[in-house]
Amino acid sequence: MNEFKLTWLFGLLATAIIIILPISLFISTESPVPNDPWQFVPPDLPQTSHTDLIQGPLTTGAEVTQECLRCHEDAAHEIMGTTHWTWESDPILLPGRDEPVTVGKKNQLNNFCIGIAGNWNKCTSCHIGYGWEDENFDFTEQTNVDCLSCHADTALYGKGLFGYPADGVDLVAAAQSVGNPTRQNCGSCHFDGGGGNAVKHGDLDESLYFPTEAIDVHMGRYDFQCVDCHQTEDHQVPGQMISVSPVAQGPSLSCQDCHQDVPHEDERINTHLEAVACQTCHIPQGAVRTPTKMDWDWSTAGQDLPEDPHLYLKIKGSFVYEQGFTPTYAWFNGTADRYIVGDTIVPTQTTVLNQPMGNITDTSAQIWPFKVHNAQQPYDAQNNYLLIPLTAGEGGFWTDFDWDNAFRSNVENTGLAYSGEYDFAPTQMYWTLTHMVAPKEQALQCTSCHGTENGRLDWQALGYPGDPLYWGGR
Amino acid sequence: MRYLNYFLPRPLRFMAVFLLLAGAATAVWAQENSPTPPPPTPHSGSPLHPTFPLLDINGQNVLDSGAGVSPMQTCGSCHDTAFIAQHSFHADVGLADQTAAGQLPQSRPWETSTGLFGRWDPITYRTLSPMGDERLDLTTADWQMTLGARHVGGGPAVIGRDGQPLASLVPTMGDMETGTRGADGQWQAWDWNTSGTAEMNCFLCHLPESDNASRVQSLADGQFGWAATATLAQTTLVTHTAEGWAWNTAAFDPNGNLLPELVTVQDPTNANCGQCHGVVQSDPNTPLVLENYGGGDYTSLTTGQIFSPQRMDQSGLNLADKQTLSRSWDVHAERVVQCTNCHYALNNPVYYQEGPDKPAHLAFDPRRLDFGDYLYRPLHQFASGTSPQSNLAAEFDNTLRSCQSCHNTAADHGWLPYLERHTAALSCQSCHVPQLYGPALSYIDWTVLVDEQTPVQAYRSTATGHDINSTTLLTGYEPVLLPRPAADGTAPLTPFNLIASWYWVYGDPARPVPLPDLQAAWFTAESTYQPALLATFDTNQDGQLSQDELQISNSAQETAVANRLRALGLANPRIMGEVQPYTISHNVIQGEWVTRSCQTCHTADSRLSQPLPVADRLPGGVMPTLMGNGVVQWAGELQPDTATGGLLFQPQPATADLYVLGHGTVAWVDRLGVALFTAVLSGIVIHGGARVLVARRQTPAPAHAGPRVYMYDVYERLWHWLQTAAILLLIFTGLIIHKPDQFGLFSFAYVVQVHNVLAAVLVINAALSLFYHLVSGEIRQFLPRPRGFFDQAIVQTRYYLRGIFKGEDHPIAKSRDHKLNPLQQITYLIILNILLPLQIITGALMWGTQRWPELVQQVGGLPFLAPFHSLIAWLFTSFIILHVYLTTTGHTPLAGIKAMMLGWEEGGE
Repeated sequence: MNEFKLTWLFGLLATAIIIILPISLFISTESPVPNDPWQFVPPDLPQTSHTDLIQGPLTTGAEVTQECLRCHEDAAHEIMGTTHWTWESDPILLPGRDEPVTVGKKNQLNNFCIGIAGNWNKCTSCHIGYGWEDENFDFTEQTNVDCLSCHADTALYGKGLFGYPADGVDLVAAAQSVGNPTRQNCGSCHFDGGGGNAVKHGDLDESLYFPTEAIDVHMGRYDFQCVDCHQTEDHQVPGQMISVSPVAQGPSLSCQDCHQDVPHEDERINTHLEAVACQTCHIPQGAVRTPTKMDWDWSTAGQDLPEDPHLYLKIKGSFVYEQGFTPTYAWFNGTADRYIVGDTIVPTQTTVLNQPMGNITDTSAQIWPFKVHNAQQPYDAQNNYLLIPLTAGEGGFWTDFDWDNAFRSNVENTGLAYSGEYDFAPTQMYWTLTHMVAPKEQALQCTSCHGTENGRLDWQALGYPGDPLYWGGR
Repeated sequence: MRYLNYFLPRPLRFMAVFLLLAGAATAVWAQENSPTPPPPTPHSGSPLHPTFPLLDINGQNVLDSGAGVSPMQTCGSCHDTAFIAQHSFHADVGLADQTAAGQLPQSRPWETSTGLFGRWDPITYRTLSPMGDERLDLTTADWQMTLGARHVGGGPAVIGRDGQPLASLVPTMGDMETGTRGADGQWQAWDWNTSGTAEMNCFLCHLPESDNASRVQSLADGQFGWAATATLAQTTLVTHTAEGWAWNTAAFDPNGNLLPELVTVQDPTNANCGQCHGVVQSDPNTPLVLENYGGGDYTSLTTGQIFSPQRMDQSGLNLADKQTLSRSWDVHAERVVQCTNCHYALNNPVYYQEGPDKPAHLAFDPRRLDFGDYLYRPLHQFASGTSPQSNLAAEFDNTLRSCQSCHNTAADHGWLPYLERHTAALSCQSCHVPQLYGPALSYIDWTVLVDEQTPVQAYRSTATGHDINSTTLLTGYEPVLLPRPAADGTAPLTPFNLIASWYWVYGDPARPVPLPDLQAAWFTAESTYQPALLATFDTNQDGQLSQDELQISNSAQETAVANRLRALGLANPRIMGEVQPYTISHNVIQGEWVTRSCQTCHTADSRLSQPLPVADRLPGGVMPTLMGNGVVQWAGELQPDTATGGLLFQPQPATADLYVLGHGTVAWVDRLGVALFTAVLSGIVIHGGARVLVARRQTPAPAHAGPRVYMYDVYERLWHWLQTAAILLLIFTGLIIHKPDQFGLFSFAYVVQVHNVLAAVLVINAALSLFYHLVSGEIRQFLPRPRGFFDQAIVQTRYYLRGIFKGEDHPIAKSRDHKLNPLQQITYLIILNILLPLQIITGALMWGTQRWPELVQQVGGLPFLAPFHSLIAWLFTSFIILHVYLTTTGHTPLAGIKAMMLGWEEGGE
């Protein structure tokens, strides 16, 4: 009987192999999706409730930080190596300069609220530390780090002047609420940049707290948190904004981190990637839901005109806001030039504070969408450099509406001499658009740029002889 | 120069060169003599086209004469407009091949040409009256006032049927070319010199702001000479006042030339073509809407095609499931392919294609028409396909580039098994135009009138009648797939829309009842329905006639209308009906929207045999005639639609020699197969049952303790079981392919591949075992010995019928060297020499339809091979169960099977 079983088994096996082998060899089965972007999205890790871990009383921010450091010993140290803390880049060599310079909110200016020097009380309320009151802030003191700004429930925690906890915050409750940063944590600073909701970026505003998929497909359709893409290691948040980081520092971030290899089924579209950034087609408009500031004229400030937060404020001047604006397109290789405080300007010409680098001959550059923010901002009419006024607080322009005094009293903070004469000059800043990615069904189509007189791209300005559909690409 | 040489005799060629030189000289002269050479001003007009004066028909500047502009004179200053007008089927529209009525092949009895001027169209209905007909419908002038809306001018709008300019003709009583149908239906003289003639209208197609509506109005008013001027209504060149058209001097420079910024001459855009041909939209940012949907949208109206780059969900139309339709209307429009990129002027050097007459020693022939020649004489014959509706300019049929001349099918259809077979049987459009969303006519019933101009008509993809606008809910429809014979002898399935029409004709030879007569039959002078007809049709007696009530559904109604027509003097009025196929080649889509699933076609309710509803009525019970002009092969038939009481078209792909695996079955083959299988099975059940019964009654004979015999060696057993597995799996996979609906679990494409691999395994195994049997001499066992064969066969048969029940021993002893009895020998001889080879050959040929299509076609093609293959499969199946049953007739029921497994047979003799 054993012999029977053995022969039987062996025979069956041999027959099966002879049948199955050729079938598996010669028949191609549909391969699974080659690159599934979901494999790169971090899983939702269980969060540790801190309710029982933290007991009060906690009366100051520093005490909260000490409490955190009991377990997370390296956290403050890690933070201190990030630009979220330093607000300043490593020294970098910008084109046309001999000396390396550092760039960041700490020491440079923009064409919104201009510069933080002297204006720490308001500006540093978005710094992840406590008590940056003047240039003497101790960046090495671990208890100055504000863990709660990124980790506490924003319903229980908020920041006030100089970055201290806002009045009335129950620090124990806030500390017990900590968890992974949410859109609310990041958004409380990044959505309100420039002094209010939607002012600055054009692709980051409070509509992203609870977005529909039409506003942002990642956050709206799939409920992404910021940190799902800005995957943080040792508190280093990858990402770069050329207003403060002309050169990428630390880990970078791109669509291809998740959407790898050949993202489209259509070869014709894939070949576009040699010259066009994903964002160009997939972010067809900026400021999808909430209007953003496109133009800021400081020269009209201080007058008693009718006020409207979107048109004119006495303390700030006149504005132009726009919703659903069509981006400005330019070559961009990931780096930008930067206006450094003290650089001279030609007041009759528009000074671009952070010109994106790249052109048609730069193979590392792609055509990117930008929000371009124009401004008329003050400069020293004799020294021909841009000025940083004292705005908030005592003696500031927002209190006295006296420009002359606002510049004069800020000299010691900025270290910039003031000649006593000022005027206003046109400036421009570029803001990359990379959030508010539209659902693919709303991406741009061929005819948005090609085969039409009034397409989005000005081919000749970009360096093409004409529409590359007819004239060939680069 | 190829085309120039072709079209021009030598003297004319010299003339052309002379004219060019003269033109150049004039230009230089004009440049040198112009008092103030205009500075090169930046303007928004055409970047290249120079400015020019507008000239009237006498060659005078219109600013001086105040007359209408003459495109032939104006554009003729630089371009050879006479040549252009002569070489344009858009202008000719059938003038060149005018005949007496009904003479052209496949024409209706009242048709006089192949084009719009003389060919009849059930949608536009009006008939160009043949010369000499007593009763008038449209004279030449009437034709221009009505159907001229769809004609670019020139041709029959300028020249009479005998080649004389219309303006030179002297009115003759009853003449179709110098008269018009008056209000009383009688001939009235028409003065061409007052009306002017409508020259071929360059502006209509070459200006971005051309105004077709004004042009059509001007034609309808009988002001033919002003039609070209009216086309400029949207420009600043001219204004329309109560007195007529007035030129704006401000639009011209002091020399009488157009201001440079107003020169907007351009290649025809999609919008230009769309003015007459269909719904076209170019700006993706403006939602597409349907306004005044009708005759000016001919291609959309007949098929539902809409040419737009816009995503459908961003259009302004009311589409069902709109939010899911994120594709564009047409991928070519989306990808910036213009109408003129495919329908180009045939001598456009950009689209130069080498002729077949190039000598073999030449790799490249640089001598060809240059752009100067082309711009002087651009051939206005455009590359075109074929149309079932028209034989116009048949010499230019299929000059259009085919899909494959731009697209490489093999490059991105790797996923599609049997690519060559699929592309031979299917046009690209079959899968790439699966659904159309524009409102397409399904029938048009001229036997009744909704109002004085409008028949009852119905559209596909919507429930609405004649009133279509952007709020009409559109559900989309699947076109019917019919073979379309191509030049290479194939007839791939191609999507069509079918439109039925019914209309009254009278007299002998037949003529459609002229619309004015039809109006008079149906309506009173006060534009209300004739009381007699109202009484006959108003079934709910509400004094109104609804769309539903307006149908001739019984003989009383037919007689009532016929009597009205007779009363108007129309002899023998009767209803005719026809079905026209309309080809569909636009609204092509790509990617995920294309039909890709095997189950679309390879299933019982295949897409290929889906009936297309045509009408919900059958006026006068008249079954329409299938028309088609040879462009379509009618694989199918019109059938009454029991659901609506109307008509549907039932495609029958089998009649076009198409056998679709998984769909096409030959009923008798399957019936015969099942019958055979059932018969064998019943035989086994009866025989086996009897054996069991007998065995129970008898005390079992003591087991014959015969010796163990090593009956089958290892290889014999291996090939046997391998063949068993292969055959069983082949039958199973074959069954799935044959009836995929019953086995929805399996992927059709995968099972087909498995079937093919198994077949290869079977063939190799069979070949190896044949080799083994030949070499080892074992083959002898399979060969019946002639001597005593029949006697032994009878003995064996008798044993199965009788002896086996008595517990007798096998009459013919089975041994190592004589395994097979005579019955087995004859059976295996048949199976191995006839059935197996036939099955292998038919299977290989079916697989080979795409490798060697001609060979397969010669032996009957799939329609023969596939049912034959199925039939043999049924025979095999029947054999297998018989074979398995007979193995139980051995010493013990399992002895045979055990022997085949282990090699040793117990208890043999």
